[in-house]
Formats: sequence, C-alpha cells, structure tokens
Amino acid sequence: MEKFLFYAFALLAIGSALLVVNLKNTARALFLFFITLFGMAGLFLFALADFVAITQIMVYVGGVLILMIFAFMLSNKALLSDMQNISTHFLSIPNWQSLLLSLGFLTVMIYGVITWQDQMPNWILENIKTGDIIQATDNNINQLGVKFMTQYVLPFEVISIFLLMALIGAAHLSRKEEQR
Amino acid sequence: MEELLIHIIVPIAIFGFVALFTLFAVYAERKIAGFVQDRLGPMETGKYGMLQTIADILKLLQKELITPKVADRILFATAPVLIFVAVFIGFSVVPWAPDFLPANTHTGLFFLMAVVSIDALGILMAGWGSNNKYSLLGSIRAIAQMVSYEIPVGLSLIAAVMITQTLNLNDIAFNQGILANENIYFLGLWDVSEIGGILAWNIFQAPHLIVVYIIFFIATLAECNRAPFDIPEAESELIGGFHTEYGGIRFAFIFLAEYAMMFLVSILGVTIFLGGWNTPLPNIGVIKMADWTTGLFWGIFWTLSKSLIVVGVQMWIRWTLPRFRADQLMSLCWKIMIPLAFVCMAISALWRILVMV
Repeated sequence: MEKFLFYAFALLAIGSALLVVNLKNTARALFLFFITLFGMAGLFLFALADFVAITQIMVYVGGVLILMIFAFMLSNKALLSDMQNISTHFLSIPNWQSLLLSLGFLTVMIYGVITWQDQMPNWILENIKTGDIIQATDNNINQLGVKFMTQYVLPFEVISIFLLMALIGAAHLSRKEEQR
Repeated sequence: MEELLIHIIVPIAIFGFVALFTLFAVYAERKIAGFVQDRLGPMETGKYGMLQTIADILKLLQKELITPKVADRILFATAPVLIFVAVFIGFSVVPWAPDFLPANTHTGLFFLMAVVSIDALGILMAGWGSNNKYSLLGSIRAIAQMVSYEIPVGLSLIAAVMITQTLNLNDIAFNQGILANENIYFLGLWDVSEIGGILAWNIFQAPHLIVVYIIFFIATLAECNRAPFDIPEAESELIGGFHTEYGGIRFAFIFLAEYAMMFLVSILGVTIFLGGWNTPLPNIGVIKMADWTTGLFWGIFWTLSKSLIVVGVQMWIRWTLPRFRADQLMSLCWKIMIPLAFVCMAISALWRILVMV
C-alpha cells in the first residue's frame, strides 16, 4: 500500500511537471503546478519530513503559486506571447542551458545511485545500531526547533535577513516617487 | 479491512455533518437577518419556514449545469471541488471530544493552516476559469484579502501555540481542563488543574490571549469572506464575485465550502482559545461539575455548542455591521491587527518564560 502510494505521488509529481512545461495555456499550466507541488509534498511525507511537506504546501501553494498567478494576470499580452515564442525554437540558448543543467543533475543522481547501492553509508548503519533513528510517529517539530536555534542558527538568521531585504526592496519599489 | 472502513466512514460522517450544518446555518442566518432587520424571514415553506433551505438545496441539485461558452472548462469545473476539498480536509485534525478526532497528528494545527490556504487557489481558479470580469475582480479581491488576513491569523495562532507548546490540536484541547497532563494556572497564579472549567481555558491561562482571540476572530471573518469583509462578493458592485457564473450543484459546493469554513474557523478558535471540548463548569468543592460533564458525548456537546455560538456571533456581526471599503480593510489588517498580533506574540513569549516556567 505504501509503495503504491509512493509511486502514485511520484507519478503525479513527474507527470504534472512534464505537463506544466508542455502546456501552451499558461494559466492552466500554473494551476497544474499545484499538483506538482502537492505530489512533492506527498513525497516529503515518505521521507518522514511531515513538517517540510506541510511547509511546502503552505509556502509554495499558499504564497508563491498565488503570487505567480497574480504576476501572470497582471502581465500584458505582448509579454506573454514573447515568452511563448521562445519555447518554439528547439535549439535556442535557454534550451541548451536547461539541457546542460538536467544532464548535470542526472549525472549526480546516477553517481549517487552507483556509490550507495551496495551498502548504506557508515553513519546510517551506526545510527541504526545505536537506535538513533526517527519513527513515523515521533514528534520531530521540537527537534527541528532546537536545531534551528542552536546548530543551524547562522543559516537561519541569514535567511531571515535575506527575506527582510526582499521585503524592504519590494516596499521601496512599490513606493510612489517623491514629488520634487 | 476494518481500518479501511473507518477511513471511509469518518469522512462521510463529517461530510454529512457539514451538509446538515449548512442547511441549518442558512436557515438560522436568514432568521437572524430577519430578527435584526425587524422582519420575519422565511415563513412560507413548512412550519416557520423550516423547510426553506431543504427546498433551496433540492432546487440547486436539479438545476442544469451551465458552463459559459468562453470559460476555461477544466478550471471552471474543478474550482468548486478544490474549494470545498480544501476546507473539508481541514476538519480531519479537529478534535471533537477527548481523543475523539479523525487524525491525531503532531502537526495538526500547521496542517490545517496549510490546507486551508489551498482554498485561495480554488477561488482564483474559479475567478479565472469563469472568464468574466466580475468574477476575476471578485477573486482578485478575495485573494488579496485572504493572503493579507492569513498573517494575523497565523500570528495569533503562533501566540497561542507559544503558550501551549504543541501543534497537536488534541493535546491543546487536553491541556485546558481537568484531564490536563501538566499543571494549569489561572492567570498564571492559581493552580486550577483539579478545578478545571472555564478557569482552565487558554484565554484565562494567559489573559492576553483574549486580545489574541479577538484578532483571530476578526481575521477569520475576513478569511471566510464574511461581512463586514465581504467585498469579494459585494452584490451591489460585483454581481456575485467569484461565483457569478456558477449555478446548480457547483454553486452548492461553493456555498457549502463557505459555511464549512465558517464552522471550521469557529471550531478551531474554540479548540485553541476557548477550551475545546472542555466543560465551562468548574469543580466547586464537593460539587464536581467538571468531572460530571466531561466525556465523549459531553465533549461533542460542548464543542458543538461553543462552535455554534461562535457561528451565531459571526452571523450577528454580518447583519449588524456595514461593509468595509477595500483600503479600510487593508489598513485594518496591516496597521492595526498585525502590529497588535506581534505585540501579543512578544507577550506570549515573555509569559511562557517568566510566568508559566
């Protein structure tokens, strides 16, 4: 049952992602992107990262996706048709770049599969031996909070400052020019 | 097999409840409107018009499904389902009685907030899919409002969660009455773990949560697009907002979602601030009123009655206050409620560290 659900979510994520990039209708593609994000959230659940899964839904669906749709609605038709024209030339520069990127990711993944197929890394084996593992029913929110405030406090603060910068930038851009 | 059956029966039971609640609530709403405006409300169908909403729903169910010619058919058809499902999933983590809830998860509250935010996507989908400028304007207004008001809702919930120290709605409800796992202090001073009742509710464990609850209540009114924050559906300027083009069973689903959302935010507020399924009656000496009125059926009774009272207040407000203007709505959110919520959050942190220890 779990295996079936895992493959269902994976299929949902990959299939909808493929459709998103192939659909001509940008509005539909954006709404379909929700399915991709939802499938990804489901996959996070299988990694016992329920908090990350929910954050994915909350931030990406509740925030980013809606902003993307807003941006789409507020942009004019000429701009949109420009964007759609790019994808018709198969061998234009963006395609080469994306091909390179995807090939790079594929290499990394194949490398990972080859190196870790025979045996799990030592640290995983050690943790299994000492029983230092997370169960599906564990409450790992507390652990996340403690880790964020101790071990990972610097990256956490850097991210918050980055977000603050984005906020200030947005406020500055949307402000009216002062009358002189 | 048995487990699978439970997984099927529980959602159906909740759906049945939501549908029944909607029928009842629409009738109550019209009667309250009648009372506030000094008229009778529905009187024709059945005794005191009691069958009015049943007649309404029968009419809606047998109506033809009309899709506008230029509408995006797929988006138009999926939007009502998405809107309803988003709200409906939210019910999966809300406790009704001690240990009586569909899903007992550690991330309950966070999960609820996340799935409810999908609702906004459905509304946008409805507005865009209808291909009607009134619908689009209505949905843009709705989203602007919902996204803004999600912040005070989130902040007020964080302020409460800082006190409770858990996101599990079941645990939150447990720690507000005589069944609590830890000692509860009324106003941080008086140990009421054995006394329970209204004194043990979160709003009295930390008195600033009363302010937080008011923020939460106002912000959730806006989340549900209820008056006085109903500019997304303003009939006088936008026909009907994002559901202008909908008819028949699709409209019924949007309507169902709206009332389900009202009930969901009420029961959520009740669970987090007003003691959940805990009884308001305290133990006084030998008169163990709290012990007598705690249990499965009492729990359901208290949850339901508290939530219905909150829904009643929502309706009362709807028919009392005039509609906000868009800029007033935004300045209320960003200039009053969010700063206030931040202050309350800071008080929560101090309260937890200095008073509750």
